[in-house]
Amino acid sequence: MNRDQELREGLDACVHCGFCLPACPTYLALEDENDSPRGRVLLMAALADGTVRADDRDITAHLDACLGCRGCETACPSGVPYGLLLEETRARLAKARPVPFVARLVLAVFAREWLLRPALAFARLARGSGLAALLARVLPAGFGMPFAMLASTARPAARVWTPEGDGARGTTALLTGCVMEGLFASVNRATERVLIATGHALRDAPGQRCCGALHAHAGDRATAQVLARDNIAAFERSGADTIVVNSAGCGAMCKEYGHLLADDPAWSARAAAFAAKVRDAHEVLAAAAPVLPATADGPRVRVAYDAPCHLQHAQRVVQPPLAVLRAAPQVALVPLADSDQCCGSAGIYNLVMPDVSSRVLAPKLARIAESGAQVVATGNPGCLMQIGGGLVRSGSGVSARHPVELLDEGYARGAGRD
Amino acid sequence: MSADHRPATVEALAALVRARAGAPASASGARRGLRIAGAATWMDAGHPVREAEHLSLGAFRGIEAYTPADLTISVGAATTLAELDAATAAHGQWCPLLPWGDDHGTVGATIATATTGPFAERLGRPRQLVLGVECVDGTGRIVRAGGRVVKNVAGFDLTRAVTGAWGTLAVITRLHLRLRARPAVDVTLAVACPATEAATSRLAAFTRGPLAPLGVVAVEAADAAAIGAPGATHLVRLGGNAALVREARTAVGSLGAVTELEAAAWSTIRARLAPAPRLTGWRWDALASRLRDRFDPARILNPGLLGDPT
Amino acid sequence: MTPLGPELRRIVGDAHVLERASQLLAYRSDALPGLRRAPALAVFPGARDELIAVVRALAAHGAPFVARGAGTGLSGGALADGVTLLGLHRLKRILALDPEARTATVEPGVVNALLTRAAAPHGLHYAPDPSSQAACTIGGNVAENAGGPHCLKYGVTLDHVLRATVVLPDGEVVILDRGDEAPGYDLLGAFIGSEGCFGVVADVTVRLTPDPERVITLLADFTTVRAAADATSRIIAAGILPAALELMDRPTIEAVESSIYAAGYPRDAAAVLLVEVDGAAAGLDDDAAAVEALCRAAGARGVRTATDPAERARLWQGRKKAFGAMGRVAPHLVVQDAVVPRTRLAELLDTIAAIGARHRVRICNVFHAGDGNLHPNIPYDAHDADEAARVHAAMGEVMAACIAAGGTITGEHGVGLDKLPYMERLFTADTLDAMCALRDVFDPARRANPGKVVPVHSCREWHAAPAARGLP
Repeated sequence: MNRDQELREGLDACVHCGFCLPACPTYLALEDENDSPRGRVLLMAALADGTVRADDRDITAHLDACLGCRGCETACPSGVPYGLLLEETRARLAKARPVPFVARLVLAVFAREWLLRPALAFARLARGSGLAALLARVLPAGFGMPFAMLASTARPAARVWTPEGDGARGTTALLTGCVMEGLFASVNRATERVLIATGHALRDAPGQRCCGALHAHAGDRATAQVLARDNIAAFERSGADTIVVNSAGCGAMCKEYGHLLADDPAWSARAAAFAAKVRDAHEVLAAAAPVLPATADGPRVRVAYDAPCHLQHAQRVVQPPLAVLRAAPQVALVPLADSDQCCGSAGIYNLVMPDVSSRVLAPKLARIAESGAQVVATGNPGCLMQIGGGLVRSGSGVSARHPVELLDEGYARGAGRD
Repeated sequence: MSADHRPATVEALAALVRARAGAPASASGARRGLRIAGAATWMDAGHPVREAEHLSLGAFRGIEAYTPADLTISVGAATTLAELDAATAAHGQWCPLLPWGDDHGTVGATIATATTGPFAERLGRPRQLVLGVECVDGTGRIVRAGGRVVKNVAGFDLTRAVTGAWGTLAVITRLHLRLRARPAVDVTLAVACPATEAATSRLAAFTRGPLAPLGVVAVEAADAAAIGAPGATHLVRLGGNAALVREARTAVGSLGAVTELEAAAWSTIRARLAPAPRLTGWRWDALASRLRDRFDPARILNPGLLGDPT
Repeated sequence: MTPLGPELRRIVGDAHVLERASQLLAYRSDALPGLRRAPALAVFPGARDELIAVVRALAAHGAPFVARGAGTGLSGGALADGVTLLGLHRLKRILALDPEARTATVEPGVVNALLTRAAAPHGLHYAPDPSSQAACTIGGNVAENAGGPHCLKYGVTLDHVLRATVVLPDGEVVILDRGDEAPGYDLLGAFIGSEGCFGVVADVTVRLTPDPERVITLLADFTTVRAAADATSRIIAAGILPAALELMDRPTIEAVESSIYAAGYPRDAAAVLLVEVDGAAAGLDDDAAAVEALCRAAGARGVRTATDPAERARLWQGRKKAFGAMGRVAPHLVVQDAVVPRTRLAELLDTIAAIGARHRVRICNVFHAGDGNLHPNIPYDAHDADEAARVHAAMGEVMAACIAAGGTITGEHGVGLDKLPYMERLFTADTLDAMCALRDVFDPARRANPGKVVPVHSCREWHAAPAARGLP
């Protein structure tokens, strides 16, 4: 099936029932059906039909305002492949009009290691020196948020323990990611430790790069394809059975490499094979069903789980993160209302559209406060920073952590007690 | 009471109304109004009907269509409640209007006055039990609104408009009603509930709870004697399958001393406790006046009954 | 006088008035996408005062308008053909919730399912549950007198609305109480289900229903549709009042099972009945056993019982998302709605199948069997003019058959624009004229939702009034 046909059939699948409206964070925040999935499907159809022009701001503004959270997909009874339609439409729009400056800048940096590494190093410096925390407090809303996000990634020194495992569950390689390795290196190390402890052998995959999700979502498919090819080659060299991703957004992208490279005869089969090996870290860990000794001692931490959109809606991975959290003996899970709603992070959306993003974030912060949680756990760097940044700016004492970090802490406690 | 008019068909009735609606109002106050009578039991409800001749609906009496398995029935407006009850009882069904008053009253009057009874909250109010009407409005239009089916949103709801309008918008001639199966087990109990606050709140909790009865009525000693209950009591009706009623009965037992009575006690109580129909304080806001104006501009139907300005 | 657009902008703010054609694309249809009409302007008030001011401004301009909730209607009732679209979706606050009195007061844009969610901690719920409850609004439910699977036992919207504050089309604000309890005309009863032609709800007080102590859901599968319809009649005739009694035929089962809402319905069944009994725990097993026995007596191949909430939710999810799931079958979908006496169901289903075969269209039946409320749906491709014509013809015949069987043309979706042509087949000229008179009580200028529900030419006095034809 070619991309035209795929787009047409995807658009036609919509029966207009409107079930997606309450599932759409931008519809709830902006209260205009043009900013709902049903509305956007109509706008995309009008673009595809040529009844509206690709430079009509009344059309494109609403497509730009989509978070790409795909919350509508799990609400849709007709199976409209919304994410796919959006990506295809954005790719077409990108040819017809320039991508916004901020987006171009960020995408360019993520596609170039020689820019990305220093940028992340500089960010760590700002974080470590306390500059980020300071700016987060003193700058007005629009300018302070990025620094609050950065400040929220700071972690107290983790208690390092040495995992032991028999590797019986096969070989794995971790997609270390750009932001994950740049700002959440401790989460990556924790992931590696618990993988080993749950019986997985760990392989390196040198040469891996940014997964390309940000580019694909913004309509820059060509760059996403370049990055994908490099990653496929790198992980093929690793020889790992399973490619483990602890960032929901990257995982969703990697699982879609087959579709991304479907037009490329030299790569389509390799891409499909790669995609078939990709698993979210929670899937792998939950399948291994770690059993940790219960800790009667020490206070338990009230943890609320917030589902990253790209895990819940794109990858349809719902239960495993909860299983991981339940396995951590120091964790007391508390329910979080609307945990399936987007936090407004959405890749670089919060940088490109800070206003809408913060309006989407506001109810999330309110629900977290109502939950009584001390920690909100979510398995995606964008969400960790968006929610973390929002919590920092609102002066909340709640912190945002990755579920795997909490599992790792559970292991560390056990190790300390032995 | 002699009938001045007794149309045999709805068309004849419409012609009668149309002739009056079209005639100029006479300065001498000629009687052009029609005072609608089914069983003629609620003729003076506070505001006497003015300048009217008697309109008997006696020709619109009887069961017209009844397919028991549909749980619906079509009847003439002058059919009595007793006739309706007898026809449906034969199939283990009822139309649970069971309004205050005696069963010689007509179905049409019950709907026209929206008279409820002790079971209305559980089994349905008049507006919930009437599915459709045939009626003649004050301009002589023959209106057939709603239908025989149990769910219907086709068109504007003229059925609800004429229900409870006391015949001032239209003369109801035929009705389509919703039926229900009679409860498999139907038990009537007199419960001597102590007049304490605790007992009252226990009773209230029972009536709001999952074992809620079909109806509860407080009965004073004088009326209690008429149904063979010992002194002031609460009359409780339980309905449902055997297991449910058994459980509910146990719950009632905890409220006070219980005497079991025949279901016929309800007919007695409905008649004895029926409030005198009094129509005071009818809300005559702009919408109500416009409604009357649109459907009976010449004030043909029950003029004055609702205290409406001519 | 200030032009309408700027005046509305002054009231609700620039962001909530849309005037350019490309901004209005998304508002051309409701959930019946076969019908499209472009509004001239759309305005979305965000507070009660704004709503009243907007309606008054429209009145001052003599401008016709169409109120719209979430646009989940299935009869084209919320299409604003060249007039102003008044979106109420921003009015989404629950104003009061009184667990003791078991009532809630809400703004019209509150989503049905969210009201139930808010009531849930108190062991209460809002009983009318249209299949679109996840998205549809209470204001829209009032306008359509919405039903749903559970209205078999619990009644439709009419039975659950206690009071409404209504902005009449001329801008006057009136309170409609429940009419048959106090001395006065049942104006509330007349208003509910008036499809936006009588005015706009500013707030509505509804009854909340206690959650049943226990619920049992049964799935009976049948090798013929007729047997399933027969089982329905037997259950109703036996005097059991299930909370819901839903029938799905094989094409529907296939669509559902191929969707993400696969509920585990047997794909080889000709029809399944989804029966739910609920209420006090005492005696409920007996009711469930009786339903099972009646289904088996009618020829059910198997009966599955679900009591755990997850399994029940899955069985229901398939039913409630069935319309959407049909979107998978073909690009377009006609969702129909008609009611017949319950004893005529089996016969009508045969007739419908014959009509489908004659016109070579695929009719999927998924409906409220307990009420006799049919939903024959046809997935088709509107780009195929020949197929579209055959669908249209088949639907006309289905409607005619339902009318002939003593039924009606809509049980819960409303007349809107879609069912207008059938109104004259169902009602006499006098009756339609009386409906026009009822509308005139609320909207003598005929500016609210012009051209809907009753064909304009059926109203004897209407020809003189240009507003009724949607002209400014």
